[in-house]
Amino acid sequence: MELILLPLVRFLFGGLSTASARAARAFAILALAVDAVLLGRLALALARGAEASLVLGGWERGLGIAFSGDQIGLTFAALIWGLAVAVLLYTWRDDLRPYFYVLLHLLIGAAYAMVFTKDLFNAYVILELLTLASFLLVGYGRRPRQIWASLNYLVLCSLGMSLFLLGVAVVYYHAGTFDLGALAAEVAADPSAPWVRLAATLLVGGVAVKAGVFLFSLWLPSAHARATPAVSALLSGVVVKMGVVEIFRLSEVFPLEPTLLVLGFATALLGLLYAIQTRDAKRLLAFSTLSQIGYLLIGFGAGTAAAKLGALDYAVAHGLFKGLLFLAVGEAARLVGTSDLRTLISNRNAIPRATRLALLVGILGIVGIPPFAGFAAKSVLESALHPALLHAGVGLISVGTVASFAKLLPLLGGRSTGRSDRARIAAYGWLATAIVLFLPLSSALVPRSILSAACWTWPAYLETAVVILLGLGLRRLVRDRPFRLPTAVFRIEEGTLVILASLLLVFCLVHVV
Amino acid sequence: MVGLNGVTISVVLFGIGLLGLVLRRDLVVKLLALGLVNSAVILCLVSLGARPDGAPPILATPAASAIVDPLPQAIVLSAIVINFAILALALVFVMLLVERYHTTDSHRIERASAAEED
Repeated sequence: MELILLPLVRFLFGGLSTASARAARAFAILALAVDAVLLGRLALALARGAEASLVLGGWERGLGIAFSGDQIGLTFAALIWGLAVAVLLYTWRDDLRPYFYVLLHLLIGAAYAMVFTKDLFNAYVILELLTLASFLLVGYGRRPRQIWASLNYLVLCSLGMSLFLLGVAVVYYHAGTFDLGALAAEVAADPSAPWVRLAATLLVGGVAVKAGVFLFSLWLPSAHARATPAVSALLSGVVVKMGVVEIFRLSEVFPLEPTLLVLGFATALLGLLYAIQTRDAKRLLAFSTLSQIGYLLIGFGAGTAAAKLGALDYAVAHGLFKGLLFLAVGEAARLVGTSDLRTLISNRNAIPRATRLALLVGILGIVGIPPFAGFAAKSVLESALHPALLHAGVGLISVGTVASFAKLLPLLGGRSTGRSDRARIAAYGWLATAIVLFLPLSSALVPRSILSAACWTWPAYLETAVVILLGLGLRRLVRDRPFRLPTAVFRIEEGTLVILASLLLVFCLVHVV
Repeated sequence: MVGLNGVTISVVLFGIGLLGLVLRRDLVVKLLALGLVNSAVILCLVSLGARPDGAPPILATPAASAIVDPLPQAIVLSAIVINFAILALALVFVMLLVERYHTTDSHRIERASAAEED
């Protein structure tokens, strides 16, 4: 019951916010409280071992829309809730139109529905709802360049979702169902049938446009960098993750291992190159989102259950620290008046102390210093990657991550003169606490035995130290050698072409199995 | 083979829409092309559920006769509504862009918005 109430209550509060603009903020708090109760009840039910699934529409399973609550869905719902709290705190003092809160409820409600749905067509509808809500949120500031970025986003995502719907059509024609469970049985009966490959290509290619896979999601850097900080945090922490959740669900049904490995490495490396090259702090964060999505795909593509759990754990961790970084960099950019890194560094005294602390925690989190979120999740993921080559490849990506985030370190120097207001500090504190406490928190998803075997070992510490040293060295190496990468691919026409070309690539890759 | 013909037409429409998306720089034409792509997918879904001699999927139909599959028809309704919402909102955003840049040419808007950032 909680599964369907979570999104519906949000939609109800969204409607209420239009009815009474003055109470919009109170409704937002009330919605968070109701969510907390519902999530708590779901967690208790799962802890008791109760079956929490639901089929809507008065039909039997296979025809009706199936929702099912599992530990993975619950963890992601908790991440969405945590980020919603942070965004509400961060925007507490801002003078926002009620329409912002309507969109916020819509986005969060759709995200709740996404993590629990087990129905392909329902996933399509929810992804489109997420697209619409985030499209309007990116354009919320009404600045022309925001509007242009969000229009690019809408056109490319709509094209991607058309491909997804074609995939859904292929699935229905051959398997006669939209239910992922029933579909898994059909696919397992004949995994090399041509329609399985066609459907897998269209579904994965379509959802990859939304999920921030580099070759597909060329709209992402502009949209994430140009939106207001609170919206960027939600886009990176929640909306992109919903695409990743759908890719995870598809990887459980279709044989996608080599495809996801190739896509994962391509995404990670290209994202890193652009992140190391860019001179804009917010674009750096956006490109690093792309590269971190690569980690997740590598985890899904490695094929073992432990690697998948590690990747999901990393997805949650990434939502937390990227949310915090977007909020902190966004505030610094607002105070200085630009997000250009050089100007930011030369005016770094204007950055308040709380913002610096938030930046530091975010960077430590993403780089993976032992007790922080990135370390825990990365160790679980890496310890499950077995061929040494795979492990080394992921280590290389970590080195690149350190090198790209070392660019933000100069922001922490100098003397701070500015002050943050209390609401901002509360938002930072909320997310930073979650990042510091991530290791015990993640035992909800990853079994405690795997967690302690992967994290509290000398090889893991040693690897972290080597990665950080190499990363700082790489930063030193490329600092004096700026290089330029093509930027034409971020235009809408080239973006469309690249999506089609990548779709072909995926189609070839699914035949490699 | 009515169903197959529908699928063929939808593939052709999908291709035309893609060409429009890539080749035409006018944003309004681009959005029309996007609409064509989305409509092609809807046509494809309906055609897959169709049967050449099928009766309408209504409960009063005699049980013996073959009926058209009702599920694709039911789900394309949602898809049509979503595509309508996307087109409508996108056109509003194009209006806002035209107010600022006085053009619907995607390359010019791209250059102008990139210049604002520097």
